[in-house]
Amino acid sequence: MILSVRDLKVSFRTHDGMVRAIDGVSFDLGESEILGVVGESGSGKTVSLLAVMGLITDPNAVIEGSIRYKGRELVGLPARELRRLRGNEIAMIFQDPMTALTPVYTIGWQIAEQIRAHRNVSKAKAMERVEELLAEVNFPNPHEAMSRYPHQLSGGMRQRAVIAMALSCNPALLVADEPTTALDVTVQAGILDLVRKLRATHKSAVVFITHDMGVVSELADRVMVMYAGRVVERGSRMELFSDPRHPYTRALLGSIPPLTGDKPRRLLAIPGSPPSLLRLPQGCAFGPRCPAQYEPCATGKPDLRGGTHAAACYRVAQA
Amino acid sequence: MSEPMIDKDRPILETRSLGKRFSIGTRFSAEGRRTVHAVDNVSLTVWRGETVGLVGESGCGKSTLARCLVRLYDITDGKLLFEGDDITTKSLSELRPLRRRLQMVFQDPSASLNPRRRVGDLVAEPLRIHGKLSSREITQRVAELFDLVGLQPDHVMRYPHEFSGGQRQRVGIARAIALNPDLVVLDEPVSALDVSVQAQIVNLLADLQEKLKLTYIFIAHDLSVVRQVSTRIAVMYLGSIVEEGPAEELFATPAHPYSQALISAVPVVETTPSGTRKRIILTGDVPSPLKPPPGCRFHPRCPIAVERCRTERPVLDERKPGRKVACHFPTLS
Repeated sequence: MILSVRDLKVSFRTHDGMVRAIDGVSFDLGESEILGVVGESGSGKTVSLLAVMGLITDPNAVIEGSIRYKGRELVGLPARELRRLRGNEIAMIFQDPMTALTPVYTIGWQIAEQIRAHRNVSKAKAMERVEELLAEVNFPNPHEAMSRYPHQLSGGMRQRAVIAMALSCNPALLVADEPTTALDVTVQAGILDLVRKLRATHKSAVVFITHDMGVVSELADRVMVMYAGRVVERGSRMELFSDPRHPYTRALLGSIPPLTGDKPRRLLAIPGSPPSLLRLPQGCAFGPRCPAQYEPCATGKPDLRGGTHAAACYRVAQA
Repeated sequence: MSEPMIDKDRPILETRSLGKRFSIGTRFSAEGRRTVHAVDNVSLTVWRGETVGLVGESGCGKSTLARCLVRLYDITDGKLLFEGDDITTKSLSELRPLRRRLQMVFQDPSASLNPRRRVGDLVAEPLRIHGKLSSREITQRVAELFDLVGLQPDHVMRYPHEFSGGQRQRVGIARAIALNPDLVVLDEPVSALDVSVQAQIVNLLADLQEKLKLTYIFIAHDLSVVRQVSTRIAVMYLGSIVEEGPAEELFATPAHPYSQALISAVPVVETTPSGTRKRIILTGDVPSPLKPPPGCRFHPRCPIAVERCRTERPVLDERKPGRKVACHFPTLS
């Protein structure tokens, strides 16, 4: 097991009281497995992975639970130790590649710096490796690209450069937070293809965060659906998409217009909007928007029930 | 969505070889003054009651075209006709009565709503500018509009920041339909919204179209949303339309190699064990509109390009009833 998260809770102290952004998230990730994490904005998908990376540095944040990477506990690990892991064994890709790259150095310089921070190699050796990496992420002319500055590259190429940087130390775990959201579909298709290929060649485990059900369905082995800081359903790709159980998952799938076949007269919209974490409803957080709501939902918070395919819903448990 | 009444005798909006050039740089910059053809030779007819969807990658000129259509940009080439009336060069004061009938909804509702004014006030603004209504009639109309777009009557006193993204977009829509327009140009109206909220707005737009007999020009980068909303679709590449046709037909059998690649790239939820859809992955990037390639502008990335494509630019021709393609070798079934 590469990553094992148990009962992770992340809260923030704010002027309006404690806000629990993540409320008891548990999941496992095996070698060269791709886990898709889906949810809307504010569902906690990013915060939970930032916690895994040890990137929540806000002094008002309280992190509870356990995060084990290859059996080693990460919660409470000193920053120095975490830095040794990050970029080396665990790498991350963000939505906007421009924020991950500095505008004042060339792509080649930046990737080489990353390699030299973790490996004891000469500058020339590092540069050689950069060229290999850029070729691997399908830069048409890797040698020339090394001397380019980020602003001279297109959005898709910048994201490829960031991926090359993430891969530079052969990470065992790659966390990708909406890496294709800012890109055109044609470019996205190329990046998804690349992630799939890299999983095969580097054997990295990947956590892929997105709001796009289509992307998850194309890429992930297993899927985790989040809502208001909790996991509402998880299962293999097949289980989740051919037999969605949680009303939220069903509604989310129903609200996507089809690309082929007949157009529905109306889309199955979910009424209301995602709740504010400051004013979460009593009981099930999805309750007020749920078409299947009944008495127990108003008081209790349902737990994930089931084997590999589990849903956190009283209706599902009852059926 | 029920079939809207489309009146094919009366085009509401028509462009003839419309173009928009921007000049960039100064005579002191390294390359000197240069011209970008953001929109190049677009001839598009919009019939009353239909929804025309514009799709294409970022930078293809779809937003620029939308802004030209409502004369937010001055048009540099060609003609723009509103109900047969040439409005290409009309002055701002001449355009004023037209503005009422030609409205626009923008992508980011938080950027298009003044944060320091109450939303009731924001919706009343166009009524005050254009209408000849008394303040009581305005209050009444605002309440009516709030009801129409699914906002609570007591929301009028709130400020934009008190709303969620979806509600803010409802305010933006209420503002656009306040004056009973004929044509609404929607530039990425749902792109900034969560998936679950997106569907609400898509449904709302369909309801309003039916109730108010609106004509839409709809821009979005999410192809499945465009297909859902539109009756007809125009695919743009580097400033020009490369294919045009009825929405469902175009998505089922795209004729231009670019449309084929674009549609095949959309990730869809599949319940079969392995993907059955064939994906065409385009190599390279969209070329710079500063230096568009000669011949067919798509040829450097086209999987089926031959010598002719490198020299001769294909024109947008009607190859089948209702289907226009700008390609020397279109796939027509």
